[in-house]
Amino acid sequence: MTKVTTLAEAVASIPSGAHVALSGFAITRCTMAFAREVIRQGIKGLTISQCVGAMDADLLVGAGAVDRLIYGGGSLDRFGRLACVNRGIEEGTLIAEEYSSLSITFRYLAGSLGLPFIPIRSLRGSDLMKRLQEQDASQIALVGDPFTGDQWLALRPLLPDVAVIQVQVADEEGNAWILGPRWDNVEQAKSSQRTIVIAEQIVSTDLIRQNAERTVIPGFLVSHVVELPFAAHPTSVYRSYDYDAEQIEEYVAATQSPENFRAYLDRYVYGVKDHWEYLERVGGMRRLSSLRADETLGY
Amino acid sequence: MSLDYTPSELMAAAGARELQDHQVVAVGLGLPVVATFLAKQTHAPNMTILFELGVINPEPIHTGVGLADPRVWYRAQVLSSFVDILGTILHKGRVDVGFLGGLEVDQYGNLNTTLIGDPRAKFRHMVGSGGANDIASCARKTIIIMRHEARKLKKAVSFVTSPGYIAGGDSRSQAGLWGGPSRVITDKAIFGFHPETKQMMLLSIHPGNKLDDVLATMGFAPVVPPQVPYTEPPTNEQVRLIREVIDPQRMYMG
Repeated sequence: MTKVTTLAEAVASIPSGAHVALSGFAITRCTMAFAREVIRQGIKGLTISQCVGAMDADLLVGAGAVDRLIYGGGSLDRFGRLACVNRGIEEGTLIAEEYSSLSITFRYLAGSLGLPFIPIRSLRGSDLMKRLQEQDASQIALVGDPFTGDQWLALRPLLPDVAVIQVQVADEEGNAWILGPRWDNVEQAKSSQRTIVIAEQIVSTDLIRQNAERTVIPGFLVSHVVELPFAAHPTSVYRSYDYDAEQIEEYVAATQSPENFRAYLDRYVYGVKDHWEYLERVGGMRRLSSLRADETLGY
Repeated sequence: MSLDYTPSELMAAAGARELQDHQVVAVGLGLPVVATFLAKQTHAPNMTILFELGVINPEPIHTGVGLADPRVWYRAQVLSSFVDILGTILHKGRVDVGFLGGLEVDQYGNLNTTLIGDPRAKFRHMVGSGGANDIASCARKTIIIMRHEARKLKKAVSFVTSPGYIAGGDSRSQAGLWGGPSRVITDKAIFGFHPETKQMMLLSIHPGNKLDDVLATMGFAPVVPPQVPYTEPPTNEQVRLIREVIDPQRMYMG
């Protein structure tokens, strides 16, 4: 059965206030087209989680779509910091639950395995742990090892309503390949109730069946499949296209003040009807062709 | 030894010297990458290099803007995941050395990458942990690389993102953690930690620097032994490898 649909329909399946896990990592495989459509549809009050804060989360926070961010810290690599996330934390408009990369990943892993909690060595002796203990309905607790009596930090699972995962290749049923490193994406998909796959390319199920060892997200977990080239622009997709340095620099400059950010949203999000108009706005085929990855390098 | 080198090149060579062949090393980007590749290309060819997001032993030929840049994944032997690298290797206890940098470090090697200011009042939020807290908590030892400035080497950090020896003494093992920082390498000196108090202890001063200046540009007083030698400078071959092979575009060495 085909699950292939439009980006607009996939996004419309997400209610305001939902917990959404996003696949981005700093400036790579970010769910940018998804984030822009969420903003255009006026979806609000989201909880966003990811193991390393990325450009997709920052854009959503900047546009006022997010109430709560559960993350392991993050940046836009050398391009700059997550200015919208940071401003939200500094001004108290964003509730941030700040962990480390591995502790977020373990929380997804516990969710994937159906475990009620998972012990971890990280966070202990840090102010991250103190902060998380002070938070309402704290998701961490010190517990004893039932076999040795040693003390451990236990984390509750993360159970998102939906994972949105940007991949290179999927079939119509949502069987998906992630080429290159996968960071926390597989655990995100498996801990979530359902997954939306955004694929650079949809291929035949025959091709998937002939190379099934590459499938990291099984189709039965997937509710919607959207085929959308350059959906992660201006971030990179390994073996598909490089990041667009000029566009990321323009974003970073815009995030330095709320007024400039508003103008950025007007130009690249509200001011375009859909992803196709966005691609024209950033320079169309001429620009995008220049970002195509080299086959042997992967970037 | 080389007479023509920059402070950054000396720091990279000093970092490389701390690494041994066959070790498993977790690195972020910047100077630690240069130190690690320098060790791998000289005395430690069998070292295993890990990047947290799921990369083992890459051989980049172009300089990247960060771990999220596919340039630094090039020719890796493994491309996998956080559970694979930070879970089954780091958390399992198989990482011998982790490299860390930060905004601020205190006399017990506690690192801050989260915020500057008063966390209960006015502050500026920065980048947070990423894998840094995990590496500080789970690696068998860590090496900290920092600029030598009083505002970075502080008596108390604004926020402990990644624990060192916490409050000194045995407070780290009391918190259930093994390992801890073994060295702090700055652009003026190299420090270790006192075996009992776990306070930062001056081990060597880089050639061209004076003890008074090293101490005056710190926010706390380290343990100073009666004799403090000069740091061994990089060799001509190390400087050549850094400039011609590892960082020809001078992205990391600035």
